[in-house]
Amino acid sequence: MKIGRYSLNAFTIFLAGTIFFLPLLAAAEFSFRKPGGKGHSFTNYSWLLQQEGFLPALGTSLRLAVLSGALNLILMVPTMVVLNLKAKRYKSIVDFICILPLIIPVVSLAIGAQVSMPEFLQNTEYELVFFFVIVALPYTYRALDSAISAVDIKVLVEASRSLGATWFATIIKVIIPAIRSGIIGSLFLSFALAIGEFTLTSLLHWDTFPTWTVVAAQQNILGAIAISVFSFALAIFALTLVGILAARKKNQNLVLENEEVE
Amino acid sequence: MAKQRASSTLKLENVTRSFGTTVALDGLNLTVQPGELVALLGPSGCGKTTALRIVAGLETADSGSLLVNDVRYNDTAVNDRDMGMVFQAYSLFPNMTVAENIDYGLRARKMDLPKRMKQVRKMLQLVDLEEKSTRYPHQLSGGQQQRVALARALAIEPTVLLLDEPLSALDAQVRSQIREEIRAIQLELGITTLFVTHDQEEAMAIADRVGVMNKGKLEQIDKPTVLYNEPATPFVASFVGQANRLPATITGKGNVKVLHQKISLSRHSTDLRDGLPVEALIRPESITLTTENDDEATQGLLVSKSFLGPLTKLGVALEGLPIIHINSQSKDVKSLEIGDRISFKIVADEIMAQNV
Amino acid sequence: MKLKRYSWLPLLPFFLFTGYFLLWPILGVTLKSFHNNAGEWSLSNYTPLISGAYRHAFATSIRLSIITSVISSVLGAFFTLVIVKNAGSRLTSIIESIAAVFANSGGVPLAFMYIAAFGAEGMFTKILKFFGWNIYAGRFTLFSFTGVVLVYTFFMTPLMVIVFRPAILGLRKEWSEASLNLGANTLTYWRRVAIPILTPSFIGSFFLLFAGAFSAYATARALTVGTVPLVPIIIGTLVDGNVISDQANLGDALAVGMIVVAGVAMIGYIWAQRSAAKWRQS
Ligand SMILES: Nc1ncnc2c1ncn2[C@@H]1O[C@H](COP(=O)(O)OP(=O)(O)OP(=O)(O)O)[C@@H](O)[C@H]1O
Ligand SMILES: [Mg+2]
Repeated sequence: MKIGRYSLNAFTIFLAGTIFFLPLLAAAEFSFRKPGGKGHSFTNYSWLLQQEGFLPALGTSLRLAVLSGALNLILMVPTMVVLNLKAKRYKSIVDFICILPLIIPVVSLAIGAQVSMPEFLQNTEYELVFFFVIVALPYTYRALDSAISAVDIKVLVEASRSLGATWFATIIKVIIPAIRSGIIGSLFLSFALAIGEFTLTSLLHWDTFPTWTVVAAQQNILGAIAISVFSFALAIFALTLVGILAARKKNQNLVLENEEVE
Repeated sequence: MAKQRASSTLKLENVTRSFGTTVALDGLNLTVQPGELVALLGPSGCGKTTALRIVAGLETADSGSLLVNDVRYNDTAVNDRDMGMVFQAYSLFPNMTVAENIDYGLRARKMDLPKRMKQVRKMLQLVDLEEKSTRYPHQLSGGQQQRVALARALAIEPTVLLLDEPLSALDAQVRSQIREEIRAIQLELGITTLFVTHDQEEAMAIADRVGVMNKGKLEQIDKPTVLYNEPATPFVASFVGQANRLPATITGKGNVKVLHQKISLSRHSTDLRDGLPVEALIRPESITLTTENDDEATQGLLVSKSFLGPLTKLGVALEGLPIIHINSQSKDVKSLEIGDRISFKIVADEIMAQNV
Repeated sequence: MKLKRYSWLPLLPFFLFTGYFLLWPILGVTLKSFHNNAGEWSLSNYTPLISGAYRHAFATSIRLSIITSVISSVLGAFFTLVIVKNAGSRLTSIIESIAAVFANSGGVPLAFMYIAAFGAEGMFTKILKFFGWNIYAGRFTLFSFTGVVLVYTFFMTPLMVIVFRPAILGLRKEWSEASLNLGANTLTYWRRVAIPILTPSFIGSFFLLFAGAFSAYATARALTVGTVPLVPIIIGTLVDGNVISDQANLGDALAVGMIVVAGVAMIGYIWAQRSAAKWRQS
């Protein structure tokens, strides 16, 4: 039994590794090649830093991503809590709305934004923040929803309220810690999406990190590959860290519960 | 009416099973006679489910053997065992109707269609759900779902029927009703049955014999009345039924001094040395009210009184002791009020005691 | 009771936000697509879509989306199954994160990374060649239809893992155990219980993948630079003003055309959800 289990596990890791990671490693290797010649160096990476547009584009992306993450939390955390606590019957409609951005082509949304958004919004890059939040909805909704359904939030709130806590205290001390993993997950997903978003940005003619990359690729494909490897590795590292932290938190809770029983 | 099938003997010999460092079963010995219903009772985590799953083949024993009619079954594949199992809840296939669920095992056995239909109808009749045959599980109540699960397990005419807390997800009233139905069907079919529960009332009500488990071992297995009246160990005494735990001392010659009385020690309470402080276990119905001038009487303050129909449960407070519970006939204690001083004494031929 | 009537009130910000930034733009582009250059109601923007290059683009986009979603949904379902069955909680959360990166922010970086890996000089190409498979023996290039299918599969398979995992987690252990207990073998369990239960979610996920592939822009844009005619790319060039069209609102019509195709996928998605309603708890 056990051997079968582990060998299957190993097989999957091998398969997924071959299919998904070997190309990434290949890309990483490629990004260190010397332009034109043989051998490896950091040439492509140092080329990046010399580009004038690189740091400003990165800065814009980070700014937009932070704002998207914040707006996502401000909008979605109360919505999801209320939805599960007081307004269960609107769940299917919210569910439906949140799946829409996966279905409605982002290209169409971008064209629609040009048609429908007022002038003053279209004149600032911060219009992207609103649309980034929309495009991230399917993922952020899911992250929050699964965290909230994992704890019986209704019981938690009733217990807290019946012990005399105010609503404010209940939210800060009970709800938010209970769904912390969902909040962190949702925050990072919206952040990551905003950093990598290309379609809306490019069609609405703004300059961010990904659009700059595509333009840079026309000058120096090796440089563009270096950027890609770098940003991809960074995203995976960040999200994995979050995932592990969330999982560790859960394990600790379990241990504590067991100790209390004994 | 139902076809009489040859009943089987189920035997577990020295079965052990550990999960990592947790010892779930620690040398379990158990025999279930043909046609008998044995209930396994015990606190949470004592290994009941593990024992049942080993019988079903869903879990493997580390050592020991499992015998059905004296044939070793340890290595028989799960789907060759012919054992019907009823799970705690949610085990019905949600994508199939009631009839299709019951038919599942028959179809797996490649029986021909007319035979299957006949058997399904018979099972529906047995659990009284003929009108619901085309419903899906989610359209049934919890009790009905468990009846379907029972019908599905019985349809394959299993050698042994296994039930793992089949009623624990139901509310009290439905629970006792379905409990009786299960027992009636089991008696009618004469099928060897192992029933796991942590509800002692349920175990006592349904079983021919009840096995009390503790820490992966069987402490005692016997008829419900014997278990209650002559518990073999202090664990059984305190787990089955209620017991007051009162400080006592062993006074020698197999006697124990508790309150103002001297009573003989149960023959099961061995290994207690003279002069030692111990804890006596006394059932609430082994204490009666008496008059003040009885030399054996103890006085206390009545602090609670709950009416339970024919019986009334009294709570008596004594200095330095936990509240003592007494079960009395309701008609005898009608006039008592909370705050009264009352006298009582233990009426028992022998009592259990355990080291503190 | 009174409270209940206003229970939607705290949801108002959400409804206003999604209404204004999601539904309103879609409504706007739809209305505009039905107006000609002079601002009168007209179907003239849609006439180019019925024939020629634009029709071809739609056909190519749809074909690409079907092929990639078939491959990715099957592959992704298999991966999900193995992950759920075998991986512990920590490994699972790592896999989830990685899948999210692939599915979400993959777009541009992914395209360049595959250029590096599968390009004629790429290491992956060389490794495959070492094992006797020269992918460039035929007419393959990463910038062709097949190349795009390959790269799309790389970000759609992880998307499948994300959307399909809840369905697999929903398979209760009791069902497989009951099935075994009743004398059925594993194959029978899959055929009669697991697959029927998973099918609606699988079809639903398939349609989501289809919609995702159909509307994907970044990857194709970074990869093909217009060598494969896909609707989103054409819209992009119209918006950038690289292509002069005498119809100002043609791009809007194309965008609405995409919504329509995606809408069909949406209907498929809803249908899949509904078809299970007969036995699924609501
Ligand atoms: N698959 C498993 N992995 C690890 N430990 C397990 C597993 N199954 C059971 N155990 C452990 O074995 C012990 C016995 O478990 P079992 O489920 O048999 O108890 P039980 O008597 O059925 O309890 P309950 O009344 O709560 O159902 C417990 O300590 C449990 O934690
Ligand atoms: Mg159990």
